[in-house]
Amino acid sequence: MEDKNDILLKQLFADAAKQTIEDNGFTERVMMNLPEMTAPEMVESKVRRLSHLWTLFCVGVALIAFWLAKGWPILENVLAGGKQMLINTIEVFLITAPTTEININPWIVVLLLGFVLFFLPYQTFRKLSATL
Amino acid sequence: MASISDIALVTQVAVFHNKQAFDQLVRKYQSPVRRFFLNQTLGDEQLSDDLAQETFIKAYMNIAKFRSMSSFSTWLMRIAYNVYYDNLRARKQTCDIEDSSAVRQSANTGDSNIKMDIHAAMALLKPDERTCITLQLIDGYPIDQISKITGIAENTVKSHLKRGKDKMANYLRENGYGG
Repeated sequence: MEDKNDILLKQLFADAAKQTIEDNGFTERVMMNLPEMTAPEMVESKVRRLSHLWTLFCVGVALIAFWLAKGWPILENVLAGGKQMLINTIEVFLITAPTTEININPWIVVLLLGFVLFFLPYQTFRKLSATL
Repeated sequence: MASISDIALVTQVAVFHNKQAFDQLVRKYQSPVRRFFLNQTLGDEQLSDDLAQETFIKAYMNIAKFRSMSSFSTWLMRIAYNVYYDNLRARKQTCDIEDSSAVRQSANTGDSNIKMDIHAAMALLKPDERTCITLQLIDGYPIDQISKITGIAENTVKSHLKRGKDKMANYLRENGYGG
């Protein structure tokens, strides 16, 4: 019975489904009645634009200050120090690890795996879908 | 997912308030939106055009809220559905429905007999049933999309479609269609 109904209705609606309504000035009427975006939307976009300009200005000032203060050697020293510290930590760990007893809780491993395999991809997907 | 050209046009409107881009969107979607209203109002052209205009203006005002997870047409039809139901509620409050049906009858005088019979059959349906039927049979949306547009659960959409189709088919058979 349902199939018969479907067939009957599809036949009768076939023409209606193909029907295209001519514009006949409808678009012009809509465009004429569009409100000007002067209200909160525009204010918000102006604030956003100013915020972007301020960020760009700050980045520019920071780069100039970095260049004037000859920041590169300082940065190089900091990075070299950090690298040395990391190497030392790994060395200490490698020397002491065979003699140190480490108790690993399996639940913590499961939690960490869940965080990395499920929560992080989910959050990334959510943020990406919100921005697209 | 929304098509690339729609996304490009929506971005132009949302970021740069480019009215030319919105003009293209209106031209592209005016036919399905007006057809949707024409079927909901059972052929009242004036009311359909007013509601369609309101739909596009609301879309323009809220275009920054569009997320590309669904297609632009689904998002637009969701606005159209809300506009129609707001109008329906307002008309119920002013008890204006009978007047509107009189307008509808006069507007239909130029239509073919089949069209008039279809509108007469659709007049038997409850608003939700009519919406689901037109979205499926005329606009060709699948059940999950109808559910997204109307915000009605998929199973309820199926029930509306079943009941609506039964009512319409019975009426049309009584009037000599389908053998």
